[in-house]
Amino acid sequence: MVIYIYDGTFDGLLTSIYEAYYRRENPEKILSEDLIQENFLIEKIYIDTNKEKAEKVYKAIESKISSEALRKVFYVYLSEVENHGVIIFNYLRLGFKIGKNVDLNLANNFVLEMDNIYQKVSRERHWMLGLVRFRQLDNGVFYGPIEPEHNIVGLIAPYFTRRMSNENWVIHDIRRNIAAMYNREEWIIKDIELKEILNLAEGEKSYQCLWKEYFNHISIKERTNPKLQKRNMPMKYWKYLIEK
Amino acid sequence: MNVLEKLKILSDAAKYDVSCSSSGSNRRNKKGGLGEASVSGICHSWSDDGRCISLFKILFTNYCIYDCAYCVNRYSNDLSRAMFTPEEVVDLTINFYKRNYIEGLFLSSAVYRNPNYTMEQLLQIVKKLREEENFNGYIHLKAIPGADKEIIEKAGTYVDRMSVNIELPSNEGLKLLAPQKNKESIIKPMGLIKTKMIQSVEERKKFRASPKFVPAGQTTQLIVGATGDNDLKILKLSEGLYKGYNLKRVYYSAYVPVSANPKLPVLKSPPLVRENRLYQADWLLRFYGYNADELLDNSKPNFDLELDPKCDWALRNIHLFPVEINRADYDMLLRVPGIGVKSAMRIISSRKFSSLDFYDLKKLGIVLKRARYFITCKGKHYGLKNMNSEYIRNKLVIDKYKNEPNTDIEQLSMFSLYPSLTMEDNIIKIGGQF
Repeated sequence: MVIYIYDGTFDGLLTSIYEAYYRRENPEKILSEDLIQENFLIEKIYIDTNKEKAEKVYKAIESKISSEALRKVFYVYLSEVENHGVIIFNYLRLGFKIGKNVDLNLANNFVLEMDNIYQKVSRERHWMLGLVRFRQLDNGVFYGPIEPEHNIVGLIAPYFTRRMSNENWVIHDIRRNIAAMYNREEWIIKDIELKEILNLAEGEKSYQCLWKEYFNHISIKERTNPKLQKRNMPMKYWKYLIEK
Repeated sequence: MNVLEKLKILSDAAKYDVSCSSSGSNRRNKKGGLGEASVSGICHSWSDDGRCISLFKILFTNYCIYDCAYCVNRYSNDLSRAMFTPEEVVDLTINFYKRNYIEGLFLSSAVYRNPNYTMEQLLQIVKKLREEENFNGYIHLKAIPGADKEIIEKAGTYVDRMSVNIELPSNEGLKLLAPQKNKESIIKPMGLIKTKMIQSVEERKKFRASPKFVPAGQTTQLIVGATGDNDLKILKLSEGLYKGYNLKRVYYSAYVPVSANPKLPVLKSPPLVRENRLYQADWLLRFYGYNADELLDNSKPNFDLELDPKCDWALRNIHLFPVEINRADYDMLLRVPGIGVKSAMRIISSRKFSSLDFYDLKKLGIVLKRARYFITCKGKHYGLKNMNSEYIRNKLVIDKYKNEPNTDIEQLSMFSLYPSLTMEDNIIKIGGQF
């Protein structure tokens, strides 16, 4: 039994797929460094990330399968589900064989699994577009904390650069200690750790209060339906909502 | 009165308007501006009644010159009244938007002084948002029936969606409950918006810079259960609106008792199931290729509250079923109860690779609870032994109650489901002898 271990970057993952393909090996798992379990029966192979090899795989997916498939692979990588590496590997193997129609073959387990994870990540991404709540800080920056299940902060940042193009903002993924930051020109993702307590801008509290009141008054009492509310907006996302 | 007090009163007054969708427009942000529209629409929160909050839904004022019996804002109703200034609405919209609470503004109003004056105020607000604040988020504006053509036209160039609420589905209903309104005054602005939309599309083909007019289309709302109108009448009206006025959506609002007027029916709770059935039928009209006449007719003018309209249709046309999942065309797949647009497309695409059996369908995530009675997979049927619509109907209703044990609808007994069984037969079966 062979396990591939890569450094956790997307390039690393693509390099592992390159290696598995050309060494004609069939790794049991492709894991990121921080997920290794100790087991002496398993042969571990460390993969050195190689930009060129990764680039080759990247281009091959785009030209031999489809750009759709490339997006799927990236989303599934960001899902951080435990066996994402090997699912992607098997999906790509089939994809290189079938070509651009691979995604239609939902009766195949790997294609289906890819699709399910992809749907999950895109659903969470879409949820977050609506559920990020910014607080204005005393330096004028809009600060939005989130704790998503998947690593989607980079997927939602471009959307906010478009609609909030004239503001400085930070979206902080507290679970992963990373943040997308925007300075009215470009955005980056950085590791951050908050040391001091953030001070809110003047007037911030009053807008929060207005929003809470609005939220309570817009619901029709005769139709109260908490089950529906929770289905539409899972409770795991309530932590940073102003209104909840 | 401060803004907080006004907000409380005017959001309370706005909540009976159902529409909150922010879809259909692809307005882009401008340089130095704030906001954009997203074609799919984005929900930002869900209130305690489970409805999505996408737009900041608010009335400009709830002072009204009309006295419509069904409406909470009628002038004879004793409640607190308030009126925003245009600046207050603009400030709330911009600041809520920057905090990502909302996707845009849904501005409506009671009729204050006269229709023209009210519409003029609404126009000012949207103009201010677009021109002074450079706001490019979604705006849904109510057109006030009876306002001048010019004001409505002008407002249409600033907003993404416009709507005129019909509320009562028949002229008799209007006469009884809203004697100051008539059908013509409501239909006229809808016709106007439709014509302007078509014109604008034509003009934009020639001159790209000519302004868009209501790019996300128009909608309307009908109240269900405030008058004696049956479902067939309501559905026919919707069908006519979709075909004749190119409406994007018709919303249905279960009547919430807001008044003890003797002209209104006495209801214990809003007719939510009926509202749900109408929405299901509405979807069947728009996405599944059904006609209103197929779903209801004069001998059966109301929907079955136990079964959804599609199941009901399938049971009345049981001779068309079962269909073979590997061969049926897209239109027929869509008519199988339990199979929706997404499921049908998944079936069509994956059966190109290999024929599907029952377990493949399960894997694809297709809900087979209802579908199993109406399909065969590779020739094998997984439903009941014979295609008897009464048996299938009973089975479907029983399944439904298995999943919702807490519904407070009357408990079903074996005798109500199988009326052909007499009491004695049952005793014999249970006892085994006699």
